[in-house]
Amino acid sequence: MDDLYLPRLARITEARDETPDTRTFVLRLRDGSVPGTLPFVPGQFLELSVFGCGEAPFCIASSPTRPDAIEVTVRRTGQLTDALHALGPGDEIGLRGPCGNGFDLSSARGKDLVFVAGGIGLPPLRGLIWNVLDEREQFGKVTVLYGARTPSDLVYKNELADWGRRDDLELLVTVDRAEPGWEGNVGMVPILFDMTELRPATSLVYVCGPPIMIRFVVQDLLMRGFAEDSVISTLERMMQCGVGKCNHCAIGHRYVCRDGPVFSYRQIREMVE
Amino acid sequence: MSDQNSARGGKAGPRGAFAIERSHIDDWVSTLLERGEVIAPTAGCGGDVLYAPVSTPEQVRWEFSNSLHPPKEVLLPQTDPLFDIRGDRAGWQLATLPPQSPRILLNARSCDVSGLQFLRRVHASDLEDPAFLRRDAGLTVISLSCPMPCPQGFCVCCDAGPFLDDGFDIQLTDLGEVMLAEAGSANGEELVRAAGGWFRPASEEELSRRCLLEALAIDSFGESTCHFASAMRRISTGRVADALWDTMSDWCFECGACTLVCPTCYCFSIKDRRGDGAWQRCRLWDSCQYAAFTLEASGHNPRSHRKDRVKRRFYHKVSAQYYVRDKSVGCVGCGRCVTVCLGTTDMPAVVAAIRKGVWHG
Repeated sequence: MDDLYLPRLARITEARDETPDTRTFVLRLRDGSVPGTLPFVPGQFLELSVFGCGEAPFCIASSPTRPDAIEVTVRRTGQLTDALHALGPGDEIGLRGPCGNGFDLSSARGKDLVFVAGGIGLPPLRGLIWNVLDEREQFGKVTVLYGARTPSDLVYKNELADWGRRDDLELLVTVDRAEPGWEGNVGMVPILFDMTELRPATSLVYVCGPPIMIRFVVQDLLMRGFAEDSVISTLERMMQCGVGKCNHCAIGHRYVCRDGPVFSYRQIREMVE
Repeated sequence: MSDQNSARGGKAGPRGAFAIERSHIDDWVSTLLERGEVIAPTAGCGGDVLYAPVSTPEQVRWEFSNSLHPPKEVLLPQTDPLFDIRGDRAGWQLATLPPQSPRILLNARSCDVSGLQFLRRVHASDLEDPAFLRRDAGLTVISLSCPMPCPQGFCVCCDAGPFLDDGFDIQLTDLGEVMLAEAGSANGEELVRAAGGWFRPASEEELSRRCLLEALAIDSFGESTCHFASAMRRISTGRVADALWDTMSDWCFECGACTLVCPTCYCFSIKDRRGDGAWQRCRLWDSCQYAAFTLEASGHNPRSHRKDRVKRRFYHKVSAQYYVRDKSVGCVGCGRCVTVCLGTTDMPAVVAAIRKGVWHG
């Protein structure tokens, strides 16, 4: 019987510091790291086990177009993430999934794509961005708008520098509070909307960040003429089982872990808490 | 009501009805004890009825008001081990648990058998839950029908009692000097046949007495009922005023007792617990009535208000959306929430308030 709750074992092969409290872990499955052992789509998530502590859900931050390893980016916020941060290369953890629906790439082909991320909200979109860049010719204009509290809180700094140099991607970054040496934008994410050309009729917007940011960004986008179906987000909820049984992530009769975590704004608006 | 009664009566024992003399019951229970662990109502501390493993037939209670704790723990223990964990961070070994040995749940009341059936539907739908199915695989359910409704019970409104049409392996009905045994499954039929000569086919007279008992039981519910239909309509369409949820939740002390004693509640959390020389990944009962149930790592809590948590509980139990998924309301009318609630946010009270649009205050 395929056990819903039994994790597979995976080894941490690399751990990279992103910010003072955020680290990216590169994982390889013990029972075969070849492509195909863990088929997933961007936007899906994994239940990671630190044995003796428990398990928690984390989005996959890498792309299925680069299947050699799986990456997750984790901010320290509690017991399990503390325990995970105490681990390093060579250590073994458990992994269940992939869970959830993920982003529907087929509906995005041929469209202009706008990614709007706040703080630790970039990792869930990063796999999708990679996937889009690896199949770049299938998509229209690609814009990434990213904001964090301070320059130190920006994740994937090296990658942001790479993306900034590409001519097939427009990257705009802002911080709420500047630090010495920061010469970029200062202000909340929506200020970036006026610095780029938005095309509501032909675009899909992917939004991920703290709830307060999502609320302001979505309001702004709707005022700018984006349809509710064109604004797509991935929801954060307290989760335990990841397979639609434990009820922690239920909104009405929908389960974020099973029916989501990716929903259009229309779907989110129609859900009853 | 009487039409309904006669429709319900008359079809006793889908797989045959048998009778056993009361004087032989203990002998039969002895044979059950040889087949596996027997869990039955026993006399607990202070006169409480408690479902627990028994070792002799004398421990089994045959006349009792239902226990405060439903026997749902046979399928969903408070702490339910999922697998063993050995090793350390350099390398782990995970071991699934052995199959459940045979168990017999004896004298489960009708509402609680309906509760087990509800849990079976929930855990078998969508993705099958292997931990639940493993426990269920070895379980035989022998129910004891309820000729006298319990004071707070309203099973008749949930199609969950006082007598059952299915969900049991054997349904017992106390006819005085004899006990009627209706087989509800091949397993139950086999159990009766394996008991040797103690069982004989039930007579027509015995069967009609059983049906009469059921009709009388249904008639004796009186005022203690719970009308789900219009409450379901209002909850499903969001037509319950926020102010009413506010007022109702003022009477909730957030103790979670309603969910812990509920035969159909199954929300859980997953934790690792230290055992003998190994860790065990376990699921533990949790309750949607606790604030931390939806508390996210970021500190954000989408149901930080008690009103939203009370609303959630009744949405899950009474909405049409969940009715369609689970094939019934999430209530078997046992009345335990009425008994344990420190305030009055129990099922009949809330359903009545939603139906009438006013809280009793």
